[in-house]
Amino acid sequence: MLTKYQIGGRWLGYPQSYQWSAMADRLQSASGVLLGLFLLLHLHFESSILFGKAAFYRVAQILEGGIFTHSGHGIALITQLFSLFMLVVLMVHAATALRRFPVQLGQWRALRNHLHLINHQDSKLWFWQMLTGFMLFFLASMHLVTMITAPEIGPHLSAARVYHDHAWLLYAILLPAVVIHAMIGLYRVAVKWGITTQRAGLRKIAKILIVYLLCLGVASLVTYLFIGSDLSVPVQPYMPH
Amino acid sequence: MSQSRILTFNIFRYDPQQPGDKPAMVQYQLEETPGMTVFIALNRLRAEQDPSLQFDFVCRAGICGSCAMVINGFPTLACRTLTAKYADGNITLMPLPGFELIGDLSVNTGKFMRELAERLKLWLHPDETQHDIHLIEKPMDPEEAAKLYELERCVECGVCVSACATAQMRDTFVGAVGMMKIARFELDSRDARSAEDFYHVIGTQDGVFGCMTLLGCQDNCPKDLPHMQQIAYLRRKMAGTLITISKA
Repeated sequence: MLTKYQIGGRWLGYPQSYQWSAMADRLQSASGVLLGLFLLLHLHFESSILFGKAAFYRVAQILEGGIFTHSGHGIALITQLFSLFMLVVLMVHAATALRRFPVQLGQWRALRNHLHLINHQDSKLWFWQMLTGFMLFFLASMHLVTMITAPEIGPHLSAARVYHDHAWLLYAILLPAVVIHAMIGLYRVAVKWGITTQRAGLRKIAKILIVYLLCLGVASLVTYLFIGSDLSVPVQPYMPH
Repeated sequence: MSQSRILTFNIFRYDPQQPGDKPAMVQYQLEETPGMTVFIALNRLRAEQDPSLQFDFVCRAGICGSCAMVINGFPTLACRTLTAKYADGNITLMPLPGFELIGDLSVNTGKFMRELAERLKLWLHPDETQHDIHLIEKPMDPEEAAKLYELERCVECGVCVSACATAQMRDTFVGAVGMMKIARFELDSRDARSAEDFYHVIGTQDGVFGCMTLLGCQDNCPKDLPHMQQIAYLRRKMAGTLITISKA
């Protein structure tokens, strides 16, 4: 029976690590896919502001279950619970992805040497994914905690958060980091588990999506800034006509 | 008749056996000849300019895997790389990273491969209850033989290890060569090892679950082996084995 092996006087491959390794790999991929797909939806939902305040109000109303309430405005608790769920998924993803992170100085040195010496596109992409992943651990957590503590969503309330509470500073960094990380991540998961062998095509789609989502996100953010600058404090929630 | 161009080689020079020697990049110039490979150029440099230049070769035909090195940032075989490929005539040569340096461009891939084979037990493990050597061996299904042959094409050049950032960061990681060889025995109907046995060898952070799918192996393998599909296959297989073990 093949169990352990020895290299340089050190025993490696402990049996107890087997199940954890497989579980961690699956969890990392599954949580990553969930977060990546959610991002695709999230950016499209919030960019409905590009079609006007009424369009965004309608989207938020539907997602917060407005049709089930007397006022028709929806329930903020849904946003809170969903944000809490996404925070848990984010933490699972971060904990399992941490296995990949170079934790020793020697590993950083090896990585730096490798990137310097070997000309390889996907390794460079991973480096960016790792850096953005590190940033996202803090940035995405901040965003989700904000949505748990202050879940009010609406054309005026969201714009007030972006403009008057200066959340645009967070979003300006969060947006490129999350878009780059998620799109490269979805590409990597697909080739990792052998879902497709059309790698070049998939990488092209990932790059196109990065550009498209960045444009969409920036356009929405600018729109919120304009709306926010027109609002006077205290901000009144948007009411449909 | 057009005059042949002059190639400029920047070659890593360092002899760890030489006390006081320091790593340095040394420049050489050489007249290009038709059909010249980096391997031919190195032989001429050694014969005509610097007999102390160290590099490995055996077959000159991409079969032995000895002459692997990093050429202008790409780990590959010197004997299969035409100098004509480099339009500006500048060629930088570095030894393969991740292996013990013998000197200059020569690295000890043999030591690494032997340790790997012993560690992963990369040889056929037949069913020990049926080893009557007087019996005629059962014929193998041609389709299975073709699949095995495809994976047997690995020449152990070490390019996949050098091209892999994971292998460079974690020296216990088995790399694509280890996984390719495990996949070869896993496919072989004569091998008595079960999926669980293979799982114990590569179902860890040092094996298939440590692979970050950077695909340096797939993009640089000079034999064009299907590393990406093979590692994905092993990953799915090993993850499936986990479920079977858990249920058992």
